Amino acid sequence: MPGFARPDSRTDPDLVAAYRNGDERAAAELVRRHAAALGRFLYSLGADRDDLDDLVQEALFRAFRRVDSWRGGASFRSWLLTIGSNLLRDQVRKRKGQMVSIEGRDIPDRADPAADLAAGEAEDRVREGLALLPRLQREVFLLRAQEGSDYAEIAAVLGTTPGAARVHYHHAVKRLKELIR
Amino acid sequence: MSVCEWLSDRMPPVALGQAEWTPDEIHHLNECGSCRREWELVQLASRLGKDARLTLDPAAIAARVLRRLDQEREHGRVRRRSWGFAGVAAAAALVAAIWIGGLQGGASKAQPVNTAVAGRLTIPLPELDSLEPAELDSVLQTMDEPLVSGSTADDPALGDLNNDELQRVLDSWEG
Repeated sequence: MPGFARPDSRTDPDLVAAYRNGDERAAAELVRRHAAALGRFLYSLGADRDDLDDLVQEALFRAFRRVDSWRGGASFRSWLLTIGSNLLRDQVRKRKGQMVSIEGRDIPDRADPAADLAAGEAEDRVREGLALLPRLQREVFLLRAQEGSDYAEIAAVLGTTPGAARVHYHHAVKRLKELIR
Repeated sequence: MSVCEWLSDRMPPVALGQAEWTPDEIHHLNECGSCRREWELVQLASRLGKDARLTLDPAAIAARVLRRLDQEREHGRVRRRSWGFAGVAAAAALVAAIWIGGLQGGASKAQPVNTAVAGRLTIPLPELDSLEPAELDSVLQTMDEPLVSGSTADDPALGDLNNDELQRVLDSWEG
């Protein structure tokens, strides 16, 4: 089974091309690079921490299964995150649950209880606020704030225009500022 | 573009460590409450989930993902092979049917004169199988009899004739 002993200097498109040619180590390297970011993104979108491992695995599985559909218009990571987002949405729909309900869970253990409780509460408020946003606003905001994606890239992966992505971002910021005040 | 809009666009890269604030931008942040709140929000969002102990093991995930992909490829191969066998079997059955049909057609063409006889000989009559030999003889006798007998209601038997009539008939046969 492929390991992670040596960092791979190849770019994501190179790794994808290598995987298409049967190089499984290339896939393992892509997982190493993006699994954590995918996990954070899904967690920020409201995924339950207990489900993260399965969600990340499933999203990566789906991504590699249809890796031929990634044309390189957006980064591999952005493309992967949108697959994860779609997967999470399907899961929520199936469970008929609400992404909003994150009360009473996912409070991290921290060394400094008082300071970390405040930080944890702020984080939870952001997650709750994000859960109240329309899907496009939420995803645009996270792709921009968490991944640093520019509007052109966000537009490419979400199937919108850069101008519309910018508007979604500013609407998200405005609503979140009100929600977490 | 206003300074606030400018700063708003700059916030994500700065929060992610990809850029740094300029002194002017820092000055604006100190003066503008709205931008400061947005900056706090973007900082929080950029860190979201980083502090939470997300127990993801990329190596284990990669191993599981690759195993699933291998399994799926194997299932695909088996499926394709099954369909291949089914296709070959169907093709073989079709060829055999055509061949047998051709053989029978060829045989009937080779012996056109005997076809009627052979057909008659090979036509099964299952309804006759259950008959006793005596019954069968009786059936065969009726089949051997002419469909139209020589005696009809309009053709009286010789026994019905009187002597004169009989004599005339015999005379006519003798010429």
